[in-house]
Amino acid sequence: MIKLLKVEWLKIKNYNAFIVLSCFFLLGVVVINYIIYSINKNMFSQTPASKLMASFSPYNFDKTWQTTSYATGWILMLPALLIIILVTNEFTYRTHRQNIIDGWSRKQFIDVKFVMALIAAVMSTLMVIITALAFGWGSGTSFSLDGFSHVGFFFLKAFTYNMVALLIGVLVRRTGFAVAIFFINMGVENFISQLLDIWSIKLRRESSIDLGSMGDYLPMNAADGLLTFPDNPLKGLTKGVLPTDYTSIVMVLCLLYLILFYWWSNNRILKTDL
Amino acid sequence: MSILSVDNLCKNYKNIQALKGVTFIVPKGSVFGILGPNGSGKTTMLGIIMDILKPTSGSYKLFDQIPDETYRKRIGTFLETPNFYHYLSAQKNLEIVAALKERGADDIPRVLEMVNLTQRKDSRFSTYSLGMKQRLAIASCLLGNPEVLILDEPTNGLDPVGIAEIRQLIKQLYQQGKTIIMASHLLDEVEKVCTHVAILKKGELVANGDVNEILANDDIVELGASDMGQLKAAIHLLQGYSNIKEQGNLIQLFYPVGTTNLENINRHCFNNGVVLNYMQLKKKSLETKFFELTN
Repeated sequence: MIKLLKVEWLKIKNYNAFIVLSCFFLLGVVVINYIIYSINKNMFSQTPASKLMASFSPYNFDKTWQTTSYATGWILMLPALLIIILVTNEFTYRTHRQNIIDGWSRKQFIDVKFVMALIAAVMSTLMVIITALAFGWGSGTSFSLDGFSHVGFFFLKAFTYNMVALLIGVLVRRTGFAVAIFFINMGVENFISQLLDIWSIKLRRESSIDLGSMGDYLPMNAADGLLTFPDNPLKGLTKGVLPTDYTSIVMVLCLLYLILFYWWSNNRILKTDL
Repeated sequence: MSILSVDNLCKNYKNIQALKGVTFIVPKGSVFGILGPNGSGKTTMLGIIMDILKPTSGSYKLFDQIPDETYRKRIGTFLETPNFYHYLSAQKNLEIVAALKERGADDIPRVLEMVNLTQRKDSRFSTYSLGMKQRLAIASCLLGNPEVLILDEPTNGLDPVGIAEIRQLIKQLYQQGKTIIMASHLLDEVEKVCTHVAILKKGELVANGDVNEILANDDIVELGASDMGQLKAAIHLLQGYSNIKEQGNLIQLFYPVGTTNLENINRHCFNNGVVLNYMQLKKKSLETKFFELTN
């Protein structure tokens, strides 16, 4: 696999889109967390919610793990876009055929893409850890690993986004079209998710049936549903209205979706004409 | 040892049969031409051999073994179009090919020089002309000095000098003992370069063997005289021709290549009381032969 990854590195190390999107993501992680940090610090002090929120500091240890993971989750489409571009480039330049002609197996071709998606998720997660530490220490609180599981959820979400990107890239093959499908899929899923969530609330209120937030059972929303903003006094007001968060079910579903995405993209490359 | 053996290979695209049970063997050290008009299944067959297309049925062997990717590393293949990363230079693209093949990294300057791309080795692939792209693809095939080359329409897009250079290169490689499998729709190219040929027509193998046997062209001698009846009678006494036809007010005699002796024919007619008023030696065009084989 190291040999295969070296080839992938040769492909991307001089690629402008890779450099630009990576820089955007690194910058984005810092900026989005700083915005939330600033809002919480400055805005709530001037609003009626200030009394409720005065004691809430999302970037103190141990909340920093969850807040940074949640906030960074909003820009995970950037590494996913990169995966789409890297995969569809192979089809655009027909190098997917040439790589196999020159001596890779089909399995090696798709496996190295899978590992690239994994590495991109690991790198994103490392960035979250560094940012969470910086903001945690910047808030003047002492180090704690409580709530670090949210970083694990972040990794799962990042990997899911990258795997969706990989699958769409393999199925659609054309860059512009694949990017459009990726965002349309996000939009459509979010819309259906909202409807399912409303239905979940209705079911709980009217029939006392608590199936959890059913919107979180959709592929990308399962990953989204694992990451929430830390519980805070304002959020506490809604408790009792919303369905229960079945985190373990959502996590299992998320893993099942990952297996499905892997199987599907694998199958596509292994079994069809290239 | 055979380099490639294809056994009853079939490929269907929905209702279209692109290959219909093709079988042949490529002997080691040959220049093997796969000849056929556009859409005859040449690229489809090479695509199957390179594992980028799945056969419907049939099998093939490389180096007498059921192939896997390690065998492809021993072959320099250029299939259909030059496929490279557009945003990278020739040098960087060849570094990727060498890494994929796990050999030939130190061979890059040599192959670039062979195809006259040394001066442009640092230019992006996207800035190359069609001919330069084609030459880079040939360079990529030559990387690491492989024992077998598979070239699909290698002279496409090249100017006449480039075409001559590539043909010369193929001949040199053949003299070095390499096996070259070349698909082409250009009969003239196959005749000039190849030692063996397989001819495909709509996915079917219509001929296969030594190029001199398959593409042998008869010589045609056209004769005319004022008394055609007397000419015909004289010709019936003549020996050595393989076929005779009447074409308008001329008689056509077919001779195996290189066996025609116009002087003998003229003397024979004169000795039999016929004075020829028309006599011409014609070569059957390669195109005519090609049409005969593929129609």
